Amino acid sequence: MARVVLKDLTKRYAGGNLAVDRLNLEVADGEFVCLVGPSGCGKTTALRMIAGLEDISSGQVSIGDKVVNMLPPRDRDIALVFQSYALYPHMSVYDNMAFGLKLRKTPKADIERSVREAARILDLERFLDRKPGQLSGGQRQRVALGRAIVREPAVFLMDEPLSNLDAKLRVQTRAEIARLHQRLQATMIYVTHDQVEAMTMADRIAVISNGVLQQVGTPKQLYEEPCNRFVAGFIGSPSMNFVELKVQREGVMRLVCEGTQVVLDDAMAAQLRHLGLEAATVGVRPEHLRVGEPEGPGLRVSATVDVVEFLGNDALIHAASEGRDVVAIVGADTRLAVGDTVILSAAPRHVYLFEPQSEMSLGAR
Amino acid sequence: MSVAEAAGLAIPVRRRRLSIHFRPSRLVLNVVLVLVAIFWLVPTISLTVISFRPEGLFGISGWWTVLTAPSQLTIQNYETLLSTGFATGGILDSLVTTAAITVPATILVTVLSSLAAYSLVFGRWRGRTAVFLVIVALLVVPVQVALIPVAQLYDAFGNLTGLKLFGSLPGVIIFHVAFGLPFGVFLMRNFYTGIPKDLLEAGRIDGAGEWTLFRRVVMPLGLPAAASLAIFQFIWVWNDLLVGLVFLGGNPHHTLTIFLFSQTRTLAANYWVISTGAMISIVVPLAIFFSFQRYFVRGVLAGAVK
Amino acid sequence: MAAQARRRSLVLRRIVATPAPDPGAPNLEAAVLPETGRAPGGGWRRHLGSLAFLTPAGIWLLVIVGYPLIGTIRDSFYNNDSTKLVGLGNYKTLFSTADILVTFRNNVIWVIVFPFLVTFVGLLFAVLTERVRWATAFKTIIFMPIAFSATASALVWNSIMSIDPHVGMLNASIETVDDWFNAPGLYPVNTSAGQTVASLAATGLRPGPGATLESTATVAPGQTLKLGMIGISPATLQLVGAEKAVVPPAASGAVSGVVWRDFSSSHPAVRGVVFADEDGIAGLHLSLLSSNGSSVASTVTDADGAFRFSSLSTGSYRVEAVANNFASGFTGIYWLSGTQSLTPTSGLSQTAQALLSVPLVDLSMITAYLWIWAGFAMVIIGAGLAALNREVLEAARIDGATEWQTFRRVTMPMLAPVLIVVLVTMIINVLKIFDIIVNMAPSVSQANTLAVAMYDFGYASSPSANGLASAIAVILFILVVPVIYINLRRIR
Repeated sequence: MARVVLKDLTKRYAGGNLAVDRLNLEVADGEFVCLVGPSGCGKTTALRMIAGLEDISSGQVSIGDKVVNMLPPRDRDIALVFQSYALYPHMSVYDNMAFGLKLRKTPKADIERSVREAARILDLERFLDRKPGQLSGGQRQRVALGRAIVREPAVFLMDEPLSNLDAKLRVQTRAEIARLHQRLQATMIYVTHDQVEAMTMADRIAVISNGVLQQVGTPKQLYEEPCNRFVAGFIGSPSMNFVELKVQREGVMRLVCEGTQVVLDDAMAAQLRHLGLEAATVGVRPEHLRVGEPEGPGLRVSATVDVVEFLGNDALIHAASEGRDVVAIVGADTRLAVGDTVILSAAPRHVYLFEPQSEMSLGAR
Repeated sequence: MSVAEAAGLAIPVRRRRLSIHFRPSRLVLNVVLVLVAIFWLVPTISLTVISFRPEGLFGISGWWTVLTAPSQLTIQNYETLLSTGFATGGILDSLVTTAAITVPATILVTVLSSLAAYSLVFGRWRGRTAVFLVIVALLVVPVQVALIPVAQLYDAFGNLTGLKLFGSLPGVIIFHVAFGLPFGVFLMRNFYTGIPKDLLEAGRIDGAGEWTLFRRVVMPLGLPAAASLAIFQFIWVWNDLLVGLVFLGGNPHHTLTIFLFSQTRTLAANYWVISTGAMISIVVPLAIFFSFQRYFVRGVLAGAVK
Repeated sequence: MAAQARRRSLVLRRIVATPAPDPGAPNLEAAVLPETGRAPGGGWRRHLGSLAFLTPAGIWLLVIVGYPLIGTIRDSFYNNDSTKLVGLGNYKTLFSTADILVTFRNNVIWVIVFPFLVTFVGLLFAVLTERVRWATAFKTIIFMPIAFSATASALVWNSIMSIDPHVGMLNASIETVDDWFNAPGLYPVNTSAGQTVASLAATGLRPGPGATLESTATVAPGQTLKLGMIGISPATLQLVGAEKAVVPPAASGAVSGVVWRDFSSSHPAVRGVVFADEDGIAGLHLSLLSSNGSSVASTVTDADGAFRFSSLSTGSYRVEAVANNFASGFTGIYWLSGTQSLTPTSGLSQTAQALLSVPLVDLSMITAYLWIWAGFAMVIIGAGLAALNREVLEAARIDGATEWQTFRRVTMPMLAPVLIVVLVTMIINVLKIFDIIVNMAPSVSQANTLAVAMYDFGYASSPSANGLASAIAVILFILVVPVIYINLRRIR
């Protein structure tokens, strides 16, 4: 096992566009780090640079305190699980997993042992003689994992390994990968566009947008303390509600626009005054909205219910306030019907403020 | 995040830097390939040059002397050969004969294959798969198995109706069409399976009959494949020797290949006729090859069985 | 138009009103009918509609391919004018006639050598052009010969492989290289045609060791020699710039003499006299041999044939015309030989010899055919290469494979289906090879293949031997049956 350090990692394509822009990240030994972001944000490119499948335009990749920029993939002691699994179609499952070891001239007995152990962990023992073409998607995925495990690499790299699975299988396999990580205590770097995967599996998450690292932190940190609007909106499902409000200074300082107002508590007010802002973007998560008037400072929205989605224990309310959509998660016993006018509120600690230009968070508390 | 991205559907296609196989030094590789290309071009160039050299020089000096003495080039051979005009058995007559065989054969194969393929893909009668398998089986059957009986058939037909098939152009055409059909049906059928059946169902709801569906929906969509088939078939028939030899036997009109072949059976010293004649014979297929290369390659890739 | 619209809306209403079909129900088509009062199951009319499209092709195939196939099989069991049933007689004849067995041998040679060779070359080109910028141009050049008729190509290669180095490029190139190492002399003797150096000696000369001519008499310094030769053509002498022969005066301490063409048109029968109309042999390399046979001096004759070795010590010497003078240089390899074989066959029985030899012309024709079809293989394999899943190759690299290991253990197995398609196609192609044989191999050669034999029996001999020809056709058909099976398996 080893730690991975990315220093100012950059990928520049001909024509000048930066796929990855000065990415700095440290992955500790045995840590599970997720790279998340929307499609095309550069996370896969970064992963491929770590693997050695893409040239590094500038910056450094170190695996286990050794700079590996110039090393070919085979010398970097990594394993990569591809999105499409990339299994050798003409080899049996056993041979697929044994291939890397065979190339390294590992003694046959050792190969046998490693492969069978990996097959046992992944419940593949019945399939060792079959070819990939005869397996289901989930089984193929496990073979791809097995091929990586057997190599006992310093770092596991995974490129959206779950995206080709159906929803149910995805949930199942997610848990398996998490279990695998616990069991092997391996350093894992996992790329995905699905923030749910990231939140559930990672020790730490790195959010990337347009090649630029937005924020690194534990799931809890990213959820509770997003550093900018992008991270705030990316993490959490359904995503955070945003609204632009203007500062109103008469009387108690507040932020207003039609239908919505935020009564600021002292901390927030001080921030705004200090920064001299005339407007701010306000964000609040659907799960933090309550039906009813606010008790004290906080957010208050008046909206008309548009769609009510019954989720069993909760209800997902889509409402419209002066042309803006608001999404709230409330208890299922809240009787709301389409067309009702409803007051939604949130406590100050759940209200996030963002600078309109830079979109940086102003801190919620 | 768009809906598509959220659903994981938008997977960007990036040009990946790939080094798949050996890369000997770039220079060495290019030099080797250039040499191979030159080697490959030499026969064609030699034929061209020889046809432009005076007949007398043939055994005396090699054609490559033209590089140092370009003045020896002359169009005398062409003048002599073409001066026979359209005399029966001459080169121009052979050109016309070949065209008169190839064009109808190509058109017939393309049209009949398209029709048959339509029936095999969009028809709703039982036994379609069986028929298609039979046609696939026929793909590799050599013409030898049919030469003699068909000749006899032609004779019998001739005696019956007074229409001479053996030794006539229609006889050759008919034979070529028959042996072009398996490949044609194979190609067109494979292409047609890619046409969504919904289109035809919409057409049927609109009230179109089978012929209209074929003419207005399937055939226009199938034009690329039909073009590939036509070009492939054209070159194949144009360059054929055996079928022409057998079924034009005795006919004073020859195909270009027969013309060339008969030159080798006469005394050896008339290589000027051979080279000039060969040049004239390859002009048409080469022109088609270069103009429609893409279609030709696609035909080759689709079939790969002829 | 309005009627159509009305019909359509009625149809749509019926669709919406129809309950969702369950999987076991007949397809939706049956429920969707314009209101014409026809029964819902009236599909047979439609079936017939598209079945009709198949009939032209179907009938054509049945009449020209299907029925004749049966006819040929039947004919193969009859005698040559199809009057008497002979059972397996034709086949017996085919398998016992030496000439036919040779034909089989040729087909075997073609099938064993060509498909694998062309697949290999195609693979090589496809891989080499993978990352070259001008790959398309290269591929076009290699692919182009497929547009030529096999006839035209055969004729082109005929000329390239001509035995005469003035015509055939191949022999000309070899000659150029060969001349560098073994330059021909001015007076070459065509040993492959049976000429000998000895026949050139006329007066005062005799054959010496190692294809030389040496003076019969020995001389001492101060004497002259007259060495006469015949069998040298005046045209050659003219090219060399020879002049009329002159006997040089003797010189002390030197051996002098003249080498001349001892043939006078005015005195054709007289030898040994230097007549005024006889030419000297110019440019001849001479060597002076001492009494123990070693060379002590060398010179070249003048334009009039005169020579002189000066400053000699006493002793007896011979003059020798060195072998180089008569070296014939390269006379051309007969690439299209139907009898000269690659395999050693001496000491074997007649039939064994015939069956085991590989005529040179077969290999020459294979080369020509390769020129035509390598592009085909290259294009198909190139497409197969491009379609490979790149990620599997990347996985191999990550697994630790070098480029060569990746190619051998991952790429090649994944390419196997494509390679097999090419191989099989070429085997079929080569089984019935005809055009190139009749246009390239000399007609009385051992290079005929089955298709050629069939043509000969069926059309080139009179009366035509239908039985035998049909038997060969049937054999050809049987040979392709395995491929039919493979193809069908592939489709299913």
